[in-house]
Amino acid sequence: MSQVDFTDPATIAELTAALEAAGVDGLEIERPTQGVRILLARGRSPIVDRTAEDRSAVVPASFVAVKAPMAGEFLSHDISRSAAPEDHPQEVESGDVIGFVKVGPILLPLAAPASGQIVRHVAEHGAIVGFGDPLFEIEPRS
Amino acid sequence: MQDRPDQSQRRFDTVLIANRGEIALRIQRACHALGLKTVAVCSEADRDALYGQSADVLLCIGPAAATKSYLNKDALLLAARLSGAGAVHPGYGFLSENAAFSAAVEEAGLVFVGPDASAIATMGDKIAAKSAMMAAGVPCVPGPDQELPNDPAAIRKIATEIGYPVIIKAAGGGGGRGMRVVANETALEEAVTLTREEARKAFGSPALYMEKFLQHPRHIEIQVLCDTHGNAVWLGHRDCSMQRRHQKVVEEAPAPGIADDLIDAVGSACVAACKQIGYRGVGTFEFLYEGGAFYFIEMNTRLQVEHPVTEMTSGVDIVQAQLKVALGETLTITQENIRCVGHSIECRINAEDPTTFMPSAGVITGLRLPSGVGIRVDSHVFEGYRISPYYDSLVAKLIVHGETRAEAIARMRGALAELSIEGIATNLPLLRTLLEDQGFARGETDIHYLEKWLKERSAA
Repeated sequence: MSQVDFTDPATIAELTAALEAAGVDGLEIERPTQGVRILLARGRSPIVDRTAEDRSAVVPASFVAVKAPMAGEFLSHDISRSAAPEDHPQEVESGDVIGFVKVGPILLPLAAPASGQIVRHVAEHGAIVGFGDPLFEIEPRS
Repeated sequence: MQDRPDQSQRRFDTVLIANRGEIALRIQRACHALGLKTVAVCSEADRDALYGQSADVLLCIGPAAATKSYLNKDALLLAARLSGAGAVHPGYGFLSENAAFSAAVEEAGLVFVGPDASAIATMGDKIAAKSAMMAAGVPCVPGPDQELPNDPAAIRKIATEIGYPVIIKAAGGGGGRGMRVVANETALEEAVTLTREEARKAFGSPALYMEKFLQHPRHIEIQVLCDTHGNAVWLGHRDCSMQRRHQKVVEEAPAPGIADDLIDAVGSACVAACKQIGYRGVGTFEFLYEGGAFYFIEMNTRLQVEHPVTEMTSGVDIVQAQLKVALGETLTITQENIRCVGHSIECRINAEDPTTFMPSAGVITGLRLPSGVGIRVDSHVFEGYRISPYYDSLVAKLIVHGETRAEAIARMRGALAELSIEGIATNLPLLRTLLEDQGFARGETDIHYLEKWLKERSAA
């Protein structure tokens, strides 16, 4: 099982189906380079939190791009709090959920890879985005 | 084909092209000509390809590794769902002959532009394919259409009946892999054991079969086109004998020196076989040709790289025809309308060292394409294009057409001289020399000719 790829939609779908079948509310798997957390909200869409897409790839540039972990529909609204207006900078903490990629019934939360300011919203809410497409740019706090 | 009076009633209006490179662009052009929208998919390595920009939708589906992008069935189906595509065209290579992918596409309620899963599976199993062809009256290589037994004495008996030399092949093999030639009975048992083990490891099945080994065959293939209403035609034949390590380098249509009545009989048998197995779409019957006889080797259930030479001589746009069949249209072309006009030659321009054949990745810093009467270039590259190390090395297909074979050769020589690609190594020098070769000019060379020619040149 060491080769399971959490960026594969089939893997996430299988894990989700297994959780539902077993009546379990969630699971969390941590790896040195990948992690996945799936929480099943009964009666609602399952929520998947893929944390740190690639923890080894920390970009020491001035801006950090947040990219789509897979192809899907981009949702810019942070549903855990009120939607942030896009016309002024938004302060975020590392790990904050700043948007989602909707893949079928699954919402993949996009976690801020660094604390700082969102300086650009690259994709529009509702747009179809591809794997690796840039969605946000964050200027990290020094 | 039937007219399209009402496009709203078509089975689909958007095609996802599950491929990359020149064939992705070729399919996109055919779709647009038919008023179909296109979804281009790409890996991260192909983000800058221009054909992505000319598609109606471009979606990156995964990292550069083909297993995570172009071979990732789930990612492709997801892209189709997201983009609203109603059909998937697999091109050639990648998932084009994957029965499970064809089935998955159709299970998702989409149209697979190609045959159904069972036809792909039958033709992918070389024993089943041979059996189907023998039943349809297509000439096959001498040898039983059955799996080799385990008993060494029974195997010896089969080999004696066929007559040495024989070739042992893996039922699940192809592309030159999983086969071994046996010259005499002494070497037979060990060869069977080794090939069986290789087949088990490489193809997941130890099933083998045995055939007569032809010593100096040519590779000649027949292009078929079938609709879903029981109509089938063959569009012509091609000679693809100029090969290196089972990879075709130069292809031409028609195959020189084949009597019309002979090829007509073989073509008709292929059409009969298609009707018998209920085949749909385009396909290619590959034959070995030796001593004036044809021997079926395999059927490719997809579009071929070399399809343009048949387009040039038949006047049929094969990719458009393939899409029309997928749309459910009836073939309007009949066998009587199909003519082979003139002669066409294709050279595969590869990004590789012309002597060592090592792939050459890098940026194309200069590009000059030939043009003029009877010259066609199918290519996705441009100045500034980066050749990725992740995929095959095909950069362009240079295709010429002339009234005669001699005119086509002369035209190809001129076009090769005009073509210039800078920044990467290509096989252009090799092709230029090959087109001057007397043996090639005479034609009718066998499948070993190029390898021998290369060996002699490197020894000189």
